[in-house]
Amino acid sequence: MSLFAEVWDAVKAVAAGLETVHRRVKQPPATEFYPYKKPEIPPVSVQFLALIQNEDGTDRCVACLQCERVCPSQVITIERKRNPEGKGFVLERFDLDFANCMHCANCVEACPVSAIVTVGEFEHAVYDINFLKADKAFLDHIGHEAKIWYSPKFGVEMRTPEGKIVKAPPEMQPGGLAELLKEAEGGEGA
Amino acid sequence: MRNPTTIEPVPGRTDEMIINMGPQHPATHGVLKVVIGLDGERITRAVPHIGFLHRNHEKIEEARTYTQIISYTDRMDYVSGLQNELPFILAVEDLLGVEVPPRAKLIRTIFFELFRIASHLVWLGTGMLDLGAITPFLYTFRDREKILEITEKTAGARMLPNYFTFGGVRRDVHPDFFKDVAAFLDFFETRLPDYYALVLDSPVFQARAVGVGVLSKERAIARGASGPVIRASGVPYDVRKAEPYDAYPELEFEIPTREEGDVYARFWVRFREMEESVKIIRQALEKVPKTGPYKGKVPPRVKPKPGARYRAVEIARGHLGAYVVSDGSEYPARIKHRSPSFANLQLIPDLFVGARFADAIAILSSLDPVFGEVDR
Ligand code: SF4
Ligand code: SF4
Repeated sequence: MSLFAEVWDAVKAVAAGLETVHRRVKQPPATEFYPYKKPEIPPVSVQFLALIQNEDGTDRCVACLQCERVCPSQVITIERKRNPEGKGFVLERFDLDFANCMHCANCVEACPVSAIVTVGEFEHAVYDINFLKADKAFLDHIGHEAKIWYSPKFGVEMRTPEGKIVKAPPEMQPGGLAELLKEAEGGEGA
Repeated sequence: MRNPTTIEPVPGRTDEMIINMGPQHPATHGVLKVVIGLDGERITRAVPHIGFLHRNHEKIEEARTYTQIISYTDRMDYVSGLQNELPFILAVEDLLGVEVPPRAKLIRTIFFELFRIASHLVWLGTGMLDLGAITPFLYTFRDREKILEITEKTAGARMLPNYFTFGGVRRDVHPDFFKDVAAFLDFFETRLPDYYALVLDSPVFQARAVGVGVLSKERAIARGASGPVIRASGVPYDVRKAEPYDAYPELEFEIPTREEGDVYARFWVRFREMEESVKIIRQALEKVPKTGPYKGKVPPRVKPKPGARYRAVEIARGHLGAYVVSDGSEYPARIKHRSPSFANLQLIPDLFVGARFADAIAILSSLDPVFGEVDR
């Protein structure tokens, strides 16, 4: 190929590239203005974990140590004592080191009573790594602040403005499709 | 003692310059160092150094229970995170004798192929960045973002979801999942022509890629290459066809193969693979029941029978295998991962020597190594 033909090919290629890009210029931007506009994170997303307390303020956690046992990074530390009034155990200490947590959600899978849950709260960035060493008060606090959370046992749950804990509608549940389809069928039948 | 991995200057030879490329070189896709001997523009010798990211992966896994290990396997090839879980899970499923429901198999296959597209998009973006084209990078990452969003909605994380589990998947899919995937495929098919126009069909790219870094069939087989690298050299080897797993036996797809073995062929194979993945996902979407079981019966404590099993899958980079030895306890006795990038990287001396230095970058990006998986 002569030099002229080569140069001409290159010019055509650049023009074709520009044309491709130009066709896409008018599309809406794909980026989000993050600090000003917070993206919506689904509740199943493993970001901060939280401990959920019941509506009457008691711990859901029964201190069964399952989460501590399954954690691959071994960042959960639980101390418990026998419940003075009645059966079982109560928590004395529940520490979770988010700095070393690998966000695998094994603890959430393992919990038999849906006490430890994933919430869609993701702003982990702090100046001091020690802020990420969470104790029970901190985890409870995230649990109280959370409007929506997920655990495999109860699915997605929500807190109403009055502080009641209710199950989220099936559009938000993993596997909610079964219920939605049944509703749609029922609606047609009626 | 002489260190076998460095190159010494040849006494009396003054026209050879020895330089280090990496480990902080932006085009090495991680932490690869290649010691290169240069004669003018031509590479005379090349010795790759790996291990900068070594973190004792296999040994750590021996000290974890089977359930805990799944989240570690994600961290090998972090660009196609979800795909890495499968060989280990298949091996343990075999040892446990667990039945996987067909719906779970199809869901796994859909995710598997989505991550192949995601991984190839990252490769295309960063690979073209190495060659000096910035626009494809912006486009591919925008498209990949859609896959990650679909994954996050169902699996709970974007890159390292820890979603597959013994006997199926961890939780049922989000109600929007099938709709979202179908919408993504429609969107992606309108985007693929853009990539063809910007990259594969562009004479500027072809001038840099055609005939560069030619890998012969024999060399590719001798070095144990796999994935798009070996398929671009004319060997139609794909684990999805050779040892089918999950839902692949019921799906129809082709193995794109090309004879040339140059950089252009490796790019071409990956482009065609993305098209095939779209086809596979479409078939799987048609077959998958909307509701039903997503997980088979698995004992709460995973304790496989004593024995050993090797299973492999075809991830975006090639043949990824896991060899699991069980002694009947909760902890595996030994785990070995066979990773594709590690084998593909051995081709560096073959491909680099004789090439121009600028072409070395193109060759490296066409091999598409990910160092989490090379070093483990
Ligand atoms: S998410 Fe995983 S690493 Fe983090 S505390 Fe739970 S089990 Fe441990
Ligand atoms: S698994 Fe649940 S109930 Fe048991 S200790 Fe952990 S948080 Fe508490």
